[in-house]
Amino acid sequence: MAFIKIENLFKKFGKVAAVNHVWLEVKQGEILTLLGPSGCGKTTTLRCIAGLERPDEGDVIIDGKSMFSKGFVPPSKREIGMVFQNYAVWPHMRVFDNVAYGLKIQKLPKNVIKKKVTENLESLGLTGLEKRFPGQLSGGQQQRVALARALVGNPKVLLLDEPLSNLDAKLREKMRFEIKSLVRRMGITSVYVTHDQAEAMVISDRVSVMNAGDIVQVGTPEEIYKKPANRFVADFIGTTNFIPGEISELLKERQLAYVHTEFGQKMLCKMPESAMASTNNKVNISIRPEDIEVFTEPTQDRDNLFKGTIMHRAYLGNFLYFFVNVDSTMIRVQAPYDMTQKEGEELFLFLDPEKCVLLT
Amino acid sequence: MSRGNLLLASILWLVLIFFAIYPLSFLVFESFKIAGSNNFGIQNYIDFFKDTYYLKTFGNTLLLGLLVLLTATVFGLPLAYILARYRLKGKTLLTALILLPIVLPAYAGAFAFIVFFGKQGTLNLLLVELGLITKPINFIYGLHGLVFIQALHLLPFIVLSLSAGFTNIDPSLEEAAEVEGAGGFKRFLTVTLPLCTPNYLAGAVIVFLWPFTDWLTPLIFGQIDFLPSISYINIAYHFTDMYRKYMGIVSVVVSSVICIAMFLISKRWVESKKYTSLSKGTTLEGRIMAPGVFQRICAYSYMFFIAILVLLIPTVLGLSAFSRRWVLTPIPTYWTLDNFKLIFLESPALLKNSFVFSGVALIWGVAFGLPAAYLITRTKVRGKEALDFVITLMLAFPGIAVGVSYLLAFWEGIPLATLWIIMPLSLFVRRLPYFVRMAHASYLQLDVSLEEASEISGAGKLRTFMNISFPLLLKGVFVGIVMFFIMAFQEISTAIFLYRGGWETLPIGIFLNWHRGMEFGIAAAMAFFMIVIIFILLLIVSRIGGGIIGAAWGSSGGRY
Repeated sequence: MAFIKIENLFKKFGKVAAVNHVWLEVKQGEILTLLGPSGCGKTTTLRCIAGLERPDEGDVIIDGKSMFSKGFVPPSKREIGMVFQNYAVWPHMRVFDNVAYGLKIQKLPKNVIKKKVTENLESLGLTGLEKRFPGQLSGGQQQRVALARALVGNPKVLLLDEPLSNLDAKLREKMRFEIKSLVRRMGITSVYVTHDQAEAMVISDRVSVMNAGDIVQVGTPEEIYKKPANRFVADFIGTTNFIPGEISELLKERQLAYVHTEFGQKMLCKMPESAMASTNNKVNISIRPEDIEVFTEPTQDRDNLFKGTIMHRAYLGNFLYFFVNVDSTMIRVQAPYDMTQKEGEELFLFLDPEKCVLLT
Repeated sequence: MSRGNLLLASILWLVLIFFAIYPLSFLVFESFKIAGSNNFGIQNYIDFFKDTYYLKTFGNTLLLGLLVLLTATVFGLPLAYILARYRLKGKTLLTALILLPIVLPAYAGAFAFIVFFGKQGTLNLLLVELGLITKPINFIYGLHGLVFIQALHLLPFIVLSLSAGFTNIDPSLEEAAEVEGAGGFKRFLTVTLPLCTPNYLAGAVIVFLWPFTDWLTPLIFGQIDFLPSISYINIAYHFTDMYRKYMGIVSVVVSSVICIAMFLISKRWVESKKYTSLSKGTTLEGRIMAPGVFQRICAYSYMFFIAILVLLIPTVLGLSAFSRRWVLTPIPTYWTLDNFKLIFLESPALLKNSFVFSGVALIWGVAFGLPAAYLITRTKVRGKEALDFVITLMLAFPGIAVGVSYLLAFWEGIPLATLWIIMPLSLFVRRLPYFVRMAHASYLQLDVSLEEASEISGAGKLRTFMNISFPLLLKGVFVGIVMFFIMAFQEISTAIFLYRGGWETLPIGIFLNWHRGMEFGIAAAMAFFMIVIIFILLLIVSRIGGGIIGAAWGSSGGRY
């Protein structure tokens, strides 16, 4: 059941369309990530859900109620919690007062406020810091205060705008899991904005990839990684090789296609979706470095086995990274860490047809 | 630590010691002198605080400070909000008008308002003519008038400091309050306003302390029961009456102590409360919004109202300047250029003195200010914090303290007061922190690596300064130069104690002509002439692009 519905949302700044007629649904209790490079419109979309930005067209519906088209509902009336990129913890209020702020506005009795805030701070590991000012806290602690403040009122919707981008790498990784389990436990419908694909993969039930104001693909982290909808998604999520070519033959019964590649050899690939599936179509073959098998000598005659020369070799501990030149096309390969081949030596690459995805 | 820096610091310290610390300490010593003897004691202070008249005066001054602060805050708060948050057409021009009093001398405003709001002033005459009133209303004579004129003069400080606060608040702090359920006014009270307190305080302290500095405005309004005014009267007119002389000196010291104490307390407080923000993505615009129709109408009417009050000053002075015998009519009836003829023909020396004294003071100001700013921002020379502290402290000293201390120290002490050089010297010392602050702000904006790159390329410190730093600082420094000149040009509170026949400046000329009572037209013409000169200088500043108001504020406080 869709708890938040974004309908035909359009917002422009000056002449640039930041959000370009976007449709999106967030299910009750799920964590949905808006993922994309800076300037893709993800933050603007989030701010429209919050009511901090007013769209030029379209509507946001939260729990069946229209936020814009039937009169503007201000942020203060939307029953949302929000964590800001810079935390936005008020520097002139103590931790307790920061968290209690929204409850005081709801005019809850003092003892109720005290109980709620205390419980909330405890669940975030902030007990004992109630009397501190934000200036006396570390970045990680301020971040927890921001989270506590957003959650204490039991909001219908939790919005998180790159909440971890100001933390250092170690803490960031820890907080990803912490936020996820906390939000899960409370069952709050959440929209999470980030430009970090690893963060999106960890934290979300579903990811919505955005580019230049459009939603490019929505799906589970696995769907997005394995079946990218286009070249942009394949490139943005993880690392991939693009090999340009032209479809030369379709093998319908095997669900495969032959592609004539740039480096002059035929490659067997997975059959693309029907719209693309016709001969002479120009395509890009996408295959991830970890999906390429490496051999030191030509094994039995297989499809998609190519000979190349190692141009660069990098040792990354748990695996090796090779840049292999196959007839002037550079292919990135992830290989077992115990291979001893050096730069300048030859390698054979097997590109599994099932993992060669055709994209426009 | 290089030798050169140490040498430079020593020279600056010598200048400070001889021209600021020595005379001011002389003043303090003098205040402890027991009249008619060479003994020292606290007798003068006991007398001062036992004398009900001086106690009352002291209370009056405090009260005036509070009332002026309150009035300026009440009127300044909406203006600051409009300025920082509303997108309005013509806002820049209206803002410039509203903030104009910051560069106009306070006495110019006082003269203008007497002519316009006085018992036989334009407004009363018009109201009587229209039959709305039968007896003239007392608009300005009395405490209320003094509060009104001083609050208007000081309004820019409140407006600029508050609007800088409103602009610099990280937008997400307010958005967070919005999301938490705090709508409009509630959010303003609980989040926006508290976050502005450090900015507000920086401006408020200047406003509150003004009545401890301004001796002339109360005099123009016929009141003397304020500390600086009574000090001036005692010292300038009753120098031979030992009791009054010493009471005058004690008043000056008491005013100075209060000014410095308040200044230091507020400075400490502001520094301890500085809220640093993590935000990276804050836009320079902050939270500027397009106001609704109702808000727009209110904003415009309010801005126009204040702008008209401000515009009255040059208008009324202009009318007086081009006329004679303007009494008992709403506007002058006899137009003439006689006033200007008198100024140019009979007392061109006033103009010459003003330009020469201000010019000499300016050269010293730059020669002192640039190296001082360099030492403070760019070196680790020992004692630079103390240097910065003493210079900043000079900001808090009332002009009258500088004037009186110069009179005592360079007359009774080292006899420098017989030379005309004492005039620019006093101007230089009075406005010294001003230029240092401007240069300091420009220096902070200049990336150190630009200078380091020059040194790595083989240039020495001096060469680097001449080839790299100075050209890059030039714009900020030039704005500072013009503003210093404007301030020196209208300075009266120090000069009034030191001038001798032939050394009169334009402000002193204005004061004397008003004081003689009969020559208001000439005083007005001189004041008008001064405003014209200030205007031209301001135009130059705005052409350089520093922004008039930013320049007036010293560019560190506000963005405007």
